[in-house]
Amino acid sequence: MSAAAELLRGAGLVKRFGGIVANDAVDFAVGEGDLVGLIGPNGSGKTTLINVLTGHLAPDGGQVVLRGRPMRGAAAHVYAAMGVARTFQLTQLFARMTVLENLLVPGLTRPGSTWQAVARRARTTLEFLNLAHLEQLHAKNLSGGQQKLLELGRCLMLEPAILFLDEPFAGVHPHLRDGLIKRIQELHSAGRTFVVVDHDMESILRVSQRLVVMARGRKIADGPPAEVREDQAVLAAYAGL
Amino acid sequence: MTIGMRGLHVYILLAAAALALVFADRLSSYWMHVAIIAMFYGILASSWSLLAGYVGLFSLGHMAFASIGGYTSGLLVQWYGIPIPLGMLAGIAVCCALGGVIGWVCLRMSGPYLAIFTLGFAEIVRIIFATEDDITSGMAGLHVERLFDTPSRLPYFYAAFALLAVSLLLMGLIVRSRWGLFLRAIREDEQAASASGVAVARFRILIFAIASGFAGLAGGFYGHYIGILTPSLGGLDFMAVLVVMTVLGGMERLPTAVGGAFAVEFLLEILRGYGQWRLPLFGLLLLLTMRFARNGLLAPLWLQFVRLGESPAVTATAAQDVPQKEPGL
Repeated sequence: MSAAAELLRGAGLVKRFGGIVANDAVDFAVGEGDLVGLIGPNGSGKTTLINVLTGHLAPDGGQVVLRGRPMRGAAAHVYAAMGVARTFQLTQLFARMTVLENLLVPGLTRPGSTWQAVARRARTTLEFLNLAHLEQLHAKNLSGGQQKLLELGRCLMLEPAILFLDEPFAGVHPHLRDGLIKRIQELHSAGRTFVVVDHDMESILRVSQRLVVMARGRKIADGPPAEVREDQAVLAAYAGL
Repeated sequence: MTIGMRGLHVYILLAAAALALVFADRLSSYWMHVAIIAMFYGILASSWSLLAGYVGLFSLGHMAFASIGGYTSGLLVQWYGIPIPLGMLAGIAVCCALGGVIGWVCLRMSGPYLAIFTLGFAEIVRIIFATEDDITSGMAGLHVERLFDTPSRLPYFYAAFALLAVSLLLMGLIVRSRWGLFLRAIREDEQAASASGVAVARFRILIFAIASGFAGLAGGFYGHYIGILTPSLGGLDFMAVLVVMTVLGGMERLPTAVGGAFAVEFLLEILRGYGQWRLPLFGLLLLLTMRFARNGLLAPLWLQFVRLGESPAVTATAAQDVPQKEPGL
């Protein structure tokens, strides 16, 4: 990744919860158009890192720089306004709002947006995600896989520069998972930047061009998937050594 | 039935309102008083539903703001001789400001923590009004100038009607705008709302300020109608009545909250012959509502009502709360 194309950088990020150091001086940079896979054993600090990089947690040390601007503890909605979108490890939708309304919310937060234009774009997004026929259903009534797709749709309504997907394939039926991978690849081809966290190695290797591995709160590997898979530190971390 | 009949419920409501205004003078003084108090509670219940129903902020300090609005207006009129409407506006402004501060202090609170915090705030307000005898006349009650210089209740009926109508119109505009969508998103999941670009803290503070302002308006009117204010207005008893009204009606919609206020106020009077025994009845109704109809007893009826005149096809596809367009503020 060239420095000129850098979109987001976490420099020396530290996050502690009581005595536990969830992120220990982590450096993490993402360039325009990257598709990064972020993996690691349970408790390695992946989700904490995403929370810090998207403004949902303030770091105890280090800083996040977005498009060259130090974020200095900005709230999550400021990150969203600057084009940082994310999904959650456990899907977090607006359960008692309709599928369409779930997409209207982020769309209408955009400056200068109009109700009609956002509704039109929401319907286009639902068609892209094969959810158009469900637009009037409450989000809580969707299947797990459909909920993951809707969460992705909610991200897209922000017209994001970068999308963080936290375990998008977890608990998703293989058929829907293939559809989700296809959508990610299409969006990436169209120029979107992705960071995808998952335990599903097969899926993550199918989508990512670069793999970052975390263990015990630290980044232990960062490079092309083929190289990282052979890395001794990575093998040791996954073997629990 | 054609699609052109959509919105029939609005015409029915307008017709009912017109009838109420035209035939109001036929009400006895007693029932007119009950109707005025029901409308006072209607403003409070609908504004509390903005907080508790739309955003999920279960504040128990709402009646304290009504009390603050009433005392502010009553005292300013008494001290400075300003016109009563100006005093009421000052009461609203004080409540908005104080509500915003409370909203800011409570930013990280929800559920039982918020309820207990706001209950504590309400008790502080009540005790201050009760103990500052020199200013508020304490438990003896503050004599407040009446809004109209007439023994008739009819002008108060029209004033309460106008205040309720304007309040509902303003609150309706809020909940049907994009703000309403953001508020419901915050209720559903604050973290997801924030990730969607909603300035959660700003909206929580804003809605606290707005709802408190409406409570201040209701309190100001109440003081200048009854003519005397006591600290008990902001106490837990009144708050409990407000909660029962709003929850029984349905706290996630403004009309059902107002309907709850009217139903409970009128039932309380109709059942007056049963003395204190009518109160456990409402307690029991509340328990049953929470167990079997969490959206309130009037919510299903309201949904049927708003679909009057729609063709079956439209009714089948219309989601109950989907805003089709932004009406604007």
